[in-house]
Amino acid sequence: MNTSIDLRSYWKKCRQVIEEKRALDLIFSLMSLLVIAILPIFLTSAYWHGVLVVAMFYALAAIGWNLLGGYTGQFSIAPGAFCLIGMYSSALLVHYWDWNPYLGIFMSVVSTATIGLLLGWICLRLRGPYLALTTIAFAEIIRGVIRFSYDITRGDLGLSVPKLYGSGVGHLDYYYTFLLVVVIVQIFLYFLIKSKIGLYLQSIRDDEVAASGRGVNVVWWKTFAFALSSLICGLAGGLYVHFIGLASPEMGLLMNSGLIIGMAVIGGMGTLAGPLVGGLILHPLSEYVREFGVQHMVVFSFLIIVVVRFWRAGLYGSLKNILERLIFHG
Amino acid sequence: MDVFITGIIMGTFYALMALGLSLIFGSLKIVNFAHGEFFMIGAYAYALIAINLKIPLVFVLFSVVFIGIILGVTVERLLMRPLYQKFTEWGAMRDEYAIIITFGLSLFLMNLANQIFGPYPISGPGLRPLRERIMIGDIVMMSSHRIIAFGVGAGVLIIAILLVRYSPWGKVIQAVSQNRFGASIAGINSTQVSSIVFGISGALAGLSGALLCPIFSAEPFVGALPAVKSFVIVVLGGMGSVPGSILGAYLLGVFEQFGAVYISYTYRDTFGFLILILVLLLRPQGIFGEKAREV
Repeated sequence: MNTSIDLRSYWKKCRQVIEEKRALDLIFSLMSLLVIAILPIFLTSAYWHGVLVVAMFYALAAIGWNLLGGYTGQFSIAPGAFCLIGMYSSALLVHYWDWNPYLGIFMSVVSTATIGLLLGWICLRLRGPYLALTTIAFAEIIRGVIRFSYDITRGDLGLSVPKLYGSGVGHLDYYYTFLLVVVIVQIFLYFLIKSKIGLYLQSIRDDEVAASGRGVNVVWWKTFAFALSSLICGLAGGLYVHFIGLASPEMGLLMNSGLIIGMAVIGGMGTLAGPLVGGLILHPLSEYVREFGVQHMVVFSFLIIVVVRFWRAGLYGSLKNILERLIFHG
Repeated sequence: MDVFITGIIMGTFYALMALGLSLIFGSLKIVNFAHGEFFMIGAYAYALIAINLKIPLVFVLFSVVFIGIILGVTVERLLMRPLYQKFTEWGAMRDEYAIIITFGLSLFLMNLANQIFGPYPISGPGLRPLRERIMIGDIVMMSSHRIIAFGVGAGVLIIAILLVRYSPWGKVIQAVSQNRFGASIAGINSTQVSSIVFGISGALAGLSGALLCPIFSAEPFVGALPAVKSFVIVVLGGMGSVPGSILGAYLLGVFEQFGAVYISYTYRDTFGFLILILVLLLRPQGIFGEKAREV
């Protein structure tokens, strides 16, 4: 009797620690976003504001991919393609039917979620290399269709799109819009990962057979993860196209997908704050490196290889280990 | 007829690429996304050696093969070793490690070439002067470089197939691809076999890059298309099946030429991807592949 009570209190304590550790993720990511929020006070150049907006776009896409790749264990190589779909579905509506950009962004969310649901349903039976190949093929088909439909999308020339806040406004408006969206997505994902759904997704990553044996509806939650992840990528794409004012098929290049995946991997896969940190640090870094005449992708892909090979926890993963040791173990 | 022969010739080069990919999949059960970059490096090596050293082209081809072997073995040594250990940090995410590491390697080599050589295409000399033509029968006319390259490619392909089929090393490769664990119990050093397989695959891809270099020119992103085609072929022929990938290569080579002529030239690469998705969905084991329980 006594021992069972002990066990119960022990479990309670364990749960509490797990909850606190998970909250650490959220607190850390909100703090880094706070740093981003007050950064414009010190950093007044419009160029760097623009760089940080793009960094937040990449971070958002990496967060979306991390839900699928990091938490659910489904390695899709199509995040860039979903950004592309998001960009074009808003761009086409705004360009041809003069829709409000806000409505356009909403439609890009809807369309990417639908297509993500469809792709997730197609990819249900596939895993590992087969899944990667299918998503690569999907990404290239999307890019090919958009590139070669000259009459509608103007192909490689790109489609010019009105900006979200008119043309005369500086970058700071976009800066805080992106920041707000990232904060909302991050808080939403925190509660999602904390809930039962998050546990379902992680159990699918760890062992699919065992998960279905314990009554997790693997089919449904995999499709759900696909849809939600592509929704976030589509949201990022929709916002981005109304920031740069040009939709071009270049976003769908495999290299861009590699960039997004690389940010999630270098930041730390399967952690809430990892892709955020990765995006926010790596994109400005690559802009900085460019000034020295080095191709940023060289450094970037080298980092991917080194991190995956030798340092699998990533930037935030190792930082988290240190923080946890400091906070929970004295 | 002209279209058909062009298809067969292209099919040979696709087969060279796909054979290496298929061997790697057979023995390690991973897809090497950096395969196209082996092709690219082969093309660069051919062009640079032939232009700068001015040695007979036969020796250039040999040195390209050598470089390909070195490249493949180095990649295996440096990056593929964790595949044989059990992962602790990522759980059982072995496939995912392989995907990311080869994908990252592909991006790295591509952009490194872009950084070093610049985005300008470098064209190597043909095995025969490029303008020279050969008549086959009455109507078909081919550039003689293409014919000789086809001969070399087909010869190497046949030698490689015979080696995999009948030589002691080939038997060892077959054993490992059938059952890695069982092979290691029987005293086969499966790590070494992976090295050999990567070496062969690097050599074949590099050679195919070298032979196509005078036609396509070496540039940093030249490897993307052949790599994608070899993925399609390997899936079409059944993952890891050598005869399947050879047949798939010729099928794709011929279909592609006919599709480009009779259906639509701009969408010809998109068709390949459509084939890939359809095959994966409807017949994941491909033409010759064995049915596996998990796909």
